[in-house]
Amino acid sequence: MISTVYAVLFYLATILLVVGVGMRVWKYATTPVPLNIVVSPAPRTKRGVVFRMFREVIFFESLFKSNKWIWIFAYLFHWGMLIVLLRHLRYFTLNTWWWVEIISPIGRLMAFAMLAGLLGLWARRVLQERIRYISNPSDHLMLALLVGIAASGALMSYVTHTDIIMVKAYMLGLLRFRIGDMPTDPILMVHLGLVALLMIIFPISKLLHVPGVFFAPSRTLVDNAREKRRVSKWARNLPPLPEGIPANEEA
Amino acid sequence: MAYDVNGTAVEHDEEGYITNLSDWSQELAGVIAQAEEIEMTDEHWAVVNFLRDYYEEYQIAPAVRVLIKAIKKSMGPEVGNNKYMYELFPYGPAKQACKIAGLPKPTGCV
Amino acid sequence: MAPLDDKKDVPMFSDYPQQIPKIECGASLDTDTFKAYPEHNEALGFPGELLPNWKEVAIAKMGELAKKNRAFQVYLDACVKCGACTDKCQYFLGTSDPKNMPVARQDLLRSVYRRYFTFAGKYFPWLVGARDLTKEVLDEWYTYYHQCSQCRRCAVACPYGIDTAEISMAAREILDSVGVGQKYCNEIIAKLKKTGNNLGLNPKALRATLEDMEEDLLDETGVEVKIPLDVKGADILLITPSADFFAEPHIEGLMGYAKVFHSAGVSWTLSSYASEAANFGMFIGSYENMREVSWRIRQAAKDLGVKRIIFGECGHAWRVAYSFLNTLAGPFDFLDQNYPIPQHILEFTLDEIESGRLKIDKSRNDEHVVTFHDSCNVARGSAMGDKEGGQFDVPRAVLKAVCNNFHDMERDTIRENTFCCGGGGGLLTDDLMDLRIKGAKPRMTALKQVADEHGVNKMVAICAICKTQFAKVMPKYGFDMDTIQSAHQLVANAVILDGQETEDDAE
Repeated sequence: MISTVYAVLFYLATILLVVGVGMRVWKYATTPVPLNIVVSPAPRTKRGVVFRMFREVIFFESLFKSNKWIWIFAYLFHWGMLIVLLRHLRYFTLNTWWWVEIISPIGRLMAFAMLAGLLGLWARRVLQERIRYISNPSDHLMLALLVGIAASGALMSYVTHTDIIMVKAYMLGLLRFRIGDMPTDPILMVHLGLVALLMIIFPISKLLHVPGVFFAPSRTLVDNAREKRRVSKWARNLPPLPEGIPANEEA
Repeated sequence: MAYDVNGTAVEHDEEGYITNLSDWSQELAGVIAQAEEIEMTDEHWAVVNFLRDYYEEYQIAPAVRVLIKAIKKSMGPEVGNNKYMYELFPYGPAKQACKIAGLPKPTGCV
Repeated sequence: MAPLDDKKDVPMFSDYPQQIPKIECGASLDTDTFKAYPEHNEALGFPGELLPNWKEVAIAKMGELAKKNRAFQVYLDACVKCGACTDKCQYFLGTSDPKNMPVARQDLLRSVYRRYFTFAGKYFPWLVGARDLTKEVLDEWYTYYHQCSQCRRCAVACPYGIDTAEISMAAREILDSVGVGQKYCNEIIAKLKKTGNNLGLNPKALRATLEDMEEDLLDETGVEVKIPLDVKGADILLITPSADFFAEPHIEGLMGYAKVFHSAGVSWTLSSYASEAANFGMFIGSYENMREVSWRIRQAAKDLGVKRIIFGECGHAWRVAYSFLNTLAGPFDFLDQNYPIPQHILEFTLDEIESGRLKIDKSRNDEHVVTFHDSCNVARGSAMGDKEGGQFDVPRAVLKAVCNNFHDMERDTIRENTFCCGGGGGLLTDDLMDLRIKGAKPRMTALKQVADEHGVNKMVAICAICKTQFAKVMPKYGFDMDTIQSAHQLVANAVILDGQETEDDAE
């Protein structure tokens, strides 16, 4: 029974995540950029833009320059989460890939980096008056959700171990559209439930910053406006303006 | 919004520039100056009169530089300089003097 | 009517330029800028007065903009409220009003977007801070989107590049589309459509002003330096802000361009039809108006048969020229493709200096200790030269070539991190004087630092708005109003024309 509920939940969450984010990305990609609004320091070449975005995504360069505290916590959280996620690949592959084996011990530890980052960000949200002012309930709940996921995961890693072989078998089954049995540990159920929830709200929340960062015209455009015209479709349909100065307006 | 000139109301905009330029009179100039907390002297009048003459000719207020040069010619360099103009019209010769002279406000990045 | 800036709270310097105040809710809520009259709005193609069905129109407009402009759509979605931008705006630093923090300013509009366009906002508004569009909200937009100079300092700080200027422009476009315009911007655009410039300067008056300047140049140098107007067949069309024909220290800059052109021996002209570089269409976020204003430059260039277009010192105009002109009024295939289209006057002057064609006597600026204020739109929205960062390096190269004493202000207050002068983006109006004084605080503090440490006594700007703003605001901070200078004013001091009578000759 529970196995089936979670199976349905995961299929549903996956569909919503993929379709939702896919639609959003499609929307971003097809919405015109009527003017070149790139912001300094702006590279003059496409290669330069790729390098700029690489630095943004890998090092959070702008954030590093603008706020060191937020950068430290955000960096711990995001990189912690990435390595934890990669480690989770072992539950979705029959024979664990060699590099997943290698990062697995670090991956276990990274749960703490993730938690430290999240709690740091949350503390700032509560204690720093400017950030408190701009926070909505959803901003706190998002942090609560992520803390819940990280904490329940760490709990299973370090305190009350769940039957991980059984979890893996269940997941591998889901990938082949076969619903097997899932351990009914409450902590595992909380962990998986929260992850499904995160997947579901991803495309309708501020988590859209993940695709969004790749579509911000202020960062992704090349500084070449003097050489390259860009007239979007709707602008082409504007009424034509006269060539030369109309005789009655002649100075 | 209006100035009161001996019982006659003269319309002005939010900033005190008169709406109908033909409403201007010497008396009105005195009333506007009072509202601006300026006591009109001969020097003030020289500026106001130059502005009005210039406007008559060109339908626009002169550049500050042109104004100062003209005043320098008519009243000497002690009066015809930027610093003294700001003493006469603390809020700036272009805007405040135009207001008193009944000219439209210079607009733009000025 | 007492002068509008006669408020008693005299501004104080901060301890350092980026000093962050404690937030003070509603501190600048009473800041209000005059609304446009119906005739101003209508001249721009907007309804004259608030529409009876304004709410539906505003929401529809918001949806339309999200479809037409990727930036608007992505920026509304992507913000995570990290707070990195909260201490970056000079208006927040100056007023302490939390709604002047960039993210809070964006949220005034984002909250409404969420209510009508997102799942979470439609069904769980309280959760995501979504709110209905009411008259109070509309008024709040008007108040706070006119406390943003669209300088984009926050966009540099944002991890996703969210640009409050885009949100602010969209908000003003929505306000205009329901009949709520700002007098300052809309009156000026309407005037430009009629006379060709923001000032309302007609050709006769323009000609008289230019002749007056020619006279001054002759008196000063003994050389007949011309400032040509409407000369067909000239090589270069100079597009410069109309403030260069009217205000101080702008005029000194224009006389500087004239000297440089004279020295270079090129044929050039101004146009009375396109006698304005400024393009306030950008400030109100109206692509159509911006295009119409830009188009005059194309018309004039064709009509006069020029080969090149050069822009004078004007910040947002250079953003429009460098980044948008090709799109809005191009293609410029009828101009000489061997030169940048358009070119900045500083690019031209630097070429002349580096090639040695311009004779310079640096010592003529020795009484000045100079610093440079990067104008926001030049710094963050455009470039110069052909190397990245040219918009910072070209002006400095020119200044260092014409004067011996140059000191930059603190690194976090210049180049891409420059503070706005406090009067950009359509805020350079007397009814916002109090805001302008407060918004200038970070820059004034940075200037005070170099004035104290290095004896800096002149600050150069290359933007008509910056120049007017500083000339007005500097005295409030205890600087002389002529502390602010045009770049080409210093160039003009140092240039020696062929046949010029110099003091050395007299001796």
